[in-house]
Formats: sequence, structure tokens, C-alpha cells
Amino acid sequence: MNIWVYILRRTLYVIPILFGVTFIVFLLFNVLNDDPTYQLLGKHASEERAMELRKELGLDKPLYMQYLDVVKSAVTFDFGRSWKSKQLITEMIREGAPVSLSFTLPGFFISTVLGILISLLVAYYRGTYIDKFVVFVCICGMSISSLAYILFCQWYFAYELGLFEISGYEYGFPDFLPYVSLPIIIWLILSLGPDVRFFRTIMLDEIYQDYVRTARAKGLSEPYVLLKHVLKNALIPIITYVVIQIPFLLLGALLIETFFSIPGLGGILVKAIYDQDFPVVKAMTVFISVGYIIFNLLSDILYTVVDPRVRLK
Amino acid sequence: MKKSLLAVVILAASIALVGCTKKKKDIGKVLHMPVPMAVKGFDPIHASDKYASDEIGKVYEGLLQYHYLKRPYELIPNLAEALPTVSEDGSTYTFKVKKGILFQDNEAFPGGKGRELVAADFVYSIKRVADPKLQSTGWWVLDGKIAGLNEWRKENSSKKVVDYSSVVEGLKALDKYTIQFKLTKPFPQFLYSLAMPFHFAVAREVVEKYKKEFLNHPVGTGPFQLTSKFNAQTRKITYIKNPTFRDKFYPTEGSEGDKEKGLLGSAGKKIPLVDKIEVSIIEEEQTRWLNFKKGNLDFNSIPKDDFANAITPSKDLTPEMNKKGMKLHIAASLDVTYSAFQHTDPLFKDNKKLRQAMSLGYDIKKVNELFYNGTAQPAQSIVPPGISGFMPSYNSPFRGRDLEGAKKLLASAGYPEGKGLPEILFEHIGTSPTSRQMAEFFQKNMSDLGINIRLSSNSWPELLKKIRTRTAQMWGIAWGADYPDAENFLQLLYGPNQTPGANGSNYNNSEFNTLFKKAAIMQAGPERKALYEKLNRIAAEEVPLIYGVHRTSFVIAQGWLKNFKATEFTGERAQYLGLDLDLKGKLAKEF
Repeated sequence: MNIWVYILRRTLYVIPILFGVTFIVFLLFNVLNDDPTYQLLGKHASEERAMELRKELGLDKPLYMQYLDVVKSAVTFDFGRSWKSKQLITEMIREGAPVSLSFTLPGFFISTVLGILISLLVAYYRGTYIDKFVVFVCICGMSISSLAYILFCQWYFAYELGLFEISGYEYGFPDFLPYVSLPIIIWLILSLGPDVRFFRTIMLDEIYQDYVRTARAKGLSEPYVLLKHVLKNALIPIITYVVIQIPFLLLGALLIETFFSIPGLGGILVKAIYDQDFPVVKAMTVFISVGYIIFNLLSDILYTVVDPRVRLK
Repeated sequence: MKKSLLAVVILAASIALVGCTKKKKDIGKVLHMPVPMAVKGFDPIHASDKYASDEIGKVYEGLLQYHYLKRPYELIPNLAEALPTVSEDGSTYTFKVKKGILFQDNEAFPGGKGRELVAADFVYSIKRVADPKLQSTGWWVLDGKIAGLNEWRKENSSKKVVDYSSVVEGLKALDKYTIQFKLTKPFPQFLYSLAMPFHFAVAREVVEKYKKEFLNHPVGTGPFQLTSKFNAQTRKITYIKNPTFRDKFYPTEGSEGDKEKGLLGSAGKKIPLVDKIEVSIIEEEQTRWLNFKKGNLDFNSIPKDDFANAITPSKDLTPEMNKKGMKLHIAASLDVTYSAFQHTDPLFKDNKKLRQAMSLGYDIKKVNELFYNGTAQPAQSIVPPGISGFMPSYNSPFRGRDLEGAKKLLASAGYPEGKGLPEILFEHIGTSPTSRQMAEFFQKNMSDLGINIRLSSNSWPELLKKIRTRTAQMWGIAWGADYPDAENFLQLLYGPNQTPGANGSNYNNSEFNTLFKKAAIMQAGPERKALYEKLNRIAAEEVPLIYGVHRTSFVIAQGWLKNFKATEFTGERAQYLGLDLDLKGKLAKEF
């Protein structure tokens, strides 16, 4: 099949998925959920004001019309304004997403590369004390709450040693770097454990394959076998694991952003759910769904690049 | 592999290197203030929370403001020439607006130069609060209070475009500098409403230029202006001194003891006293606290869990804090915490003795120790200290803990040792550990009486829904003052204010209602004070709510911060604050 036809077909999947996602979100917020107007009006709400606000927000329309409005905004990507802050939602995303990416992307990139390298190393030393030590460290690292890392690193490295800024953010390169350094390091600590364990499993799956034995029998060195054969054949599960995480990088990291006062998108969805801010919930859900579909498609295409035997159907 | 490894090492090293670089140093007098919550925007008509109000108060101004130093709180003219002339029947208020006040420069004005503020700006600004399309969160203040304003709102609710040119009988600019308000009935709290940010002056040209984006382009007459368009995602708001700000001076008199505390050191000086303000939005308590201890913030409240590290048992600063030159500021907050009964439930409505027994069995002193580090004041009734109606020497007979007395009352309520009393459901906020712990403490206290309490965990929206739909049986909540008047607290028990109004417990007592109705329209004076006290006494002895505490704010300020005074109404505070840069330089080695 022509790759373009495949891309078109997969892109068309967006339509039913968006319908499904918007329908579930609509159902949760507009049908099953409580009337949000009282919360928006605060402590001085009254029946009359709630009625006026419902009219202003379009909540007095028949349900099917409200749902059509949701679909329309998902299709046009015009999500309007937040009910809570009155800010333009696309502007909130446009301002917040690059900020989140300014620390999630480097953190993600470094942890992925380091994770792969460490997993190759432990695959090389499989069964030895080095392998066992790395697995032990990974498990210990994963067992500690992310909050503990954040609190400790912020207190010790930023406050006590003064090596980093305690919190804050400056827009523009390179001004933001002093503020994202410690968050990146924490991201690395948090990601390396699960990454190394996952990549190690993949590498060990590959390392016992026949082609590896053949390569060794041909007299190839172990590093060559690992890098040229094992790594290349392990790329498909790695791509699936890695690429699918990319859209979520845009959403930042709730705890890191909150503790370091980074003005990204971390927590925007959680806060919107808490505030019953339906337009923001709708926008973020559509945003995540579309991102997920796009990067899923990208990972499919990448399969064909790394393994010519893979055919898109 | 070597190349990849090298790239990673270089990247990591560069991050570490840049990470270790320090941020830019302050130029001039820069105030560093914390805010614990994201700021939504700068439209005064949506300034419903304290933090938005604080930011709006730096840029915008109203006719009146609270005196910075005097306590009890006192209203003084701000953009008004003087306090208004009030008609004999108390329903017409006439203000003269100060001449020569300029809006901050903005491209919305011809030539980019801010024009003079006139009375019509207030007419427009207050109409915006009533505008049905804008859904101001401040409409409750003037709802039904200004003659013709509700009618104007109703007329315009069906129109596509709101007509600001139509005249409202009770809201008129009599001439360029005179504004007159006619009220539908006497409303003594009206003047307080004019000090609220909802009614601060905005310029019509600016609103019309930026339309829905007006909330990100604040242009007021205030002492500070933003350095750039507001970005709602930001965690830092930077203001500079408004170059066209009028001659406004630091007060020359204050409350007793202010002079000794050095609060009159800047008396008569032109304000604002700083060149720039950097407001850091830091939601996490721990992060704010570390920043403060590092000298990055000029003042901060003390986190509950760090209280013992900062304050000694005698309520002084610890030696470590003293060494850094820090100063402690303690002030009572205008609020009350309480556990509410659902008065539509016959169990509570018809059984005053049960309510009294539960209140007497609640160990409020222990609550204060456990949850407020012993800093709060156990509430005897609903009105907090610092406002007329509070009775300093009054002790409610139903405050305790008096376990034996509570058991006797419970028996006379028909439930000896709790026998026959059904299980009571207590709603609390599950996402807040403190709320949960307080609910568990209440449960334990009641079980000592033989009362079986079942806890129900809620999110904030869930709790609000249960209160509104009257399905919550008991719940814990608090109320903070909108303005310093007992009416704002007593209305929580006024029958006609039942849900979805502020009287969430749906208490309805005809004697209380009659007295409240009478007091609510009385001008301040001994007669009203006596009525407020009577209402406050009923609120204590009828036990419609189990009162908790009136909280106290503990704020620590850096030694170099001048003129800091704890206040409940913080909107105008920044313009009075000063900095001693020499002292800051000397103390730098301590941080």
C-alpha cells in the first residue's frame, strides 16, 4: 500500500475517535456532572444568577445542541475561553506548551539516550554484579515517591547548596535554563529507573536470538553486535515506547511544575476538572487525543524505516 | 556509541553549568512579593478572589480605600475628593471625583497618552458589573441596591449588544467630576462596596479597544503598571512605577503603637516608595518558604509544618530568624471557621439542646493547638474580633470542652449517652489532609459523648453541591469577610439567605430574622452596635453552627522591608511598602 494512502486512512481515524472522545467528555461533564454555575459564581451564588450564567454559557440549550457545539469546537480547534479564568484556551496552550517542553523534552531525550546506553551496558554484563546492581538501583529509585525527590532536591541542591534556582521561570533562550536545570535532573532521576528496566528487558529478549549467535560466531566484537545488531532489532518496541510518550511531554509534569513554579501546562487538566471548567477539559482532551493519534501514526511509519520487512496495510 | 555518550555528557554538563548561573540582580528598589495562587486576569469586575484583587489593586483604584494603618478599618477617600455627602434618608450618596487624575498611558487613548479620569468612568465601570453579558462575580454586592440598575440589567439581557448609553436613575454623573448614587433602600455597607475592586475605575476606550482581551491589558489610575501584556500562564508578574501617578502621600497618622514600630517613618513621603514589584506566583508552601528564607521574597506567611522552626513557644521569632533581621507580624483575620448543621433536617432543626451538647463537647482548645499551632482565637460566636458587634468579654456557655455538661445536655435532648441518636454524616474535603484530620478529631470528640459520626470525603465541588441541594447533614467550612461589617457574617444565619444563598445551613429563626433586617439598614452607631451584639449573642446561644476559630495570620517580613503592616484588605498595600537597600546589602551574608 502506498504510504500516503495509509497516512490518509489513519488520519481519517481521527474523526470517529474525536466523536467518541468528545461524546464521553460531554456525557461526563454535561449530563452526569453537577451544574457548574454555582461553583463558578462562588460564595454569593443565587438561583437567579445561576440561571443567567447558564444562559450565557449555553447550558440552557438542548443537550444535542450543546454536544454539536462541542463537536464544532473540536473540529475547528476553537475552544473559546475558560469559564473560570476567561482566558482564551488556545492562548493558554500556546503559552504553556513550549514552557513544559523546555524541560520535559531535554529530560525525555537525555533519559531515553542514557536509558538505552545503560541497558546495552547491562545487557553486555548480563547476570554479573554490574547488571544486578543497576537493576537494584532502578528498583530502589522507582520505589521512592516523586514528591520525595522533588522536595529533597529543591531543599538540598537549590536551597542548601545554592546550585540552582529554588523556583521560577524566565521566557526566552537561554534565560530559562537556570530554572529548568534542576527539574530536568529530577525528570532524569524519575525516568531512568523505568526506562532502563524496560530497555534492558528488550535488549535481553534480543540478545538470545539466533542472529546474535550467528553474528558472534562470525567473530564480531560484543560492542559491535550490541550496537549494530541488537540495538537495531530492538528499535521497534523502543520506538513504540518512546514515540507514544511525546504528546504527553506537552502536558508537562504536574508536581515538578507546581513545586518549581514553572508556567507550563502541567496540572491544567487536573485544575480544570476540579474547577468544572468544561471548555478547558474539552480542549485538553481533544488535544491529547489528536496528539496520541498523530504520534501513533508516526511510530507506525518509523517501523517501516527501521525495519524494511514491515509493510503498512 | 562514544559519540552518543559524548553528546549526552556535553548536554548534561551544559545544563549543569547554565543551571549554576545566577539570575539578574535587581536595579533600584524592587519589591519581591509572593502570591499563592494563579492570577486569572486583570478585569476588576471578576476580582472575586483575594489574589486577583491584590493584583488589580496595584493598577486600578476606587473612590474609597481602607486607611493603611488605622484599625479598626476606616474608609478614606482615594479617587474621591472626600467622603460623600449623604441624604438625610441615607439613600443618596454624592461624590466629587479628584481632578487631574490620569489613566496610565496606553495606545487606546489618542496619542497614547492617558486621559483624565471623570465621573462618567465610574458610571461606566459600575454598569460593567451589572452587564448581563459579562457575568461579573461582583454583581451580588449591588444587586437590587441601586435604583434602576437591576431594570437596566434586565432590559439588556435580551439585547444582543448592551446599551451603556441608557440612563440609570440611581447611577448618574451629574457633571464632569460629580457622581451620584441613589439606592433603592438604605444600605449602610454601600461605602465598603466602593472600596471593593469590582467597582474600580476603568476607561471605556481601553475596554472597547481590547474587547475580550481587556483582562490582559490593565490600564488604571493606580501607582503601578504592568511592564507587558499579562500572560495568564505566567508565574511572575512585573510592575513598574506609574510615571503619571498623582501626588499621593504616606499617612501621617496610624493606630496606637504604629509609631513605635516604625510604621510612621515614611509619613508624608510621596508614594509608591519602590520602583518595581516582582510578584512570584508560587502555589507550593514549601517553595515559598525556601524562597523567603533565601531572601528571594520580602515577606511570607509561615507554613503550618514549619511553625515550630520559625516561632518559639512564646510566639517570638527563633534566634535563626532574628539573626537574619526578620520581623514577625501577627494580626487577627476577619474570619470564622465552623461546622454547620443542616437545619432542614428535623434532627437539628427541632433540637437546640442536641446542637448545644455537640458544641459543648467539641474541644476547641485542642483544635487550636493541633491545627493552628495555638495561634487562633476560639470563636464564641460568629462575628470575628476587630469589627463592631464582636463582644470581647463574652464567653458562650456552649463552648468548651465540658464533657459532663455536654452529656447532660445530650440526655435532656432525648439521647442519654447518645442512645437513640441516629448516625450523623459529616462531610469534609478529602483532598485536604488538614480537613480530613479535623473531621476525624470531631468524630473522636463526638464519640466521647456517645454520638456516632460517619465521615464522608468530598471534593470541593461535591461538597458545594451537597450544601446547595441540602443533602449535607453536617460539614466543615469557613467564611472570610468581604468587608469589615458584622452584617457580612450575621447574614450567614439570615433566613431569606437560605441555599443557594450564603446561609448554607438554612437556619431560620424569626427573632433573628427580624432583628437582622432592622440592623442591616441602620447606619453605624451605638444603636446598631447593640443590635449586632444581640444578634451575635443569639448566634452563640442558639448554636445554629458549631463555631471553630477566628484565625490569626503570622507573617514574617525581611528586616529590610519597611512599613509592612498586616491587613485583611491587601489590594493597596504595595504602594506603602519601602525597602532599606543598605540593610539588605549588610544582611546578604546571612542568607
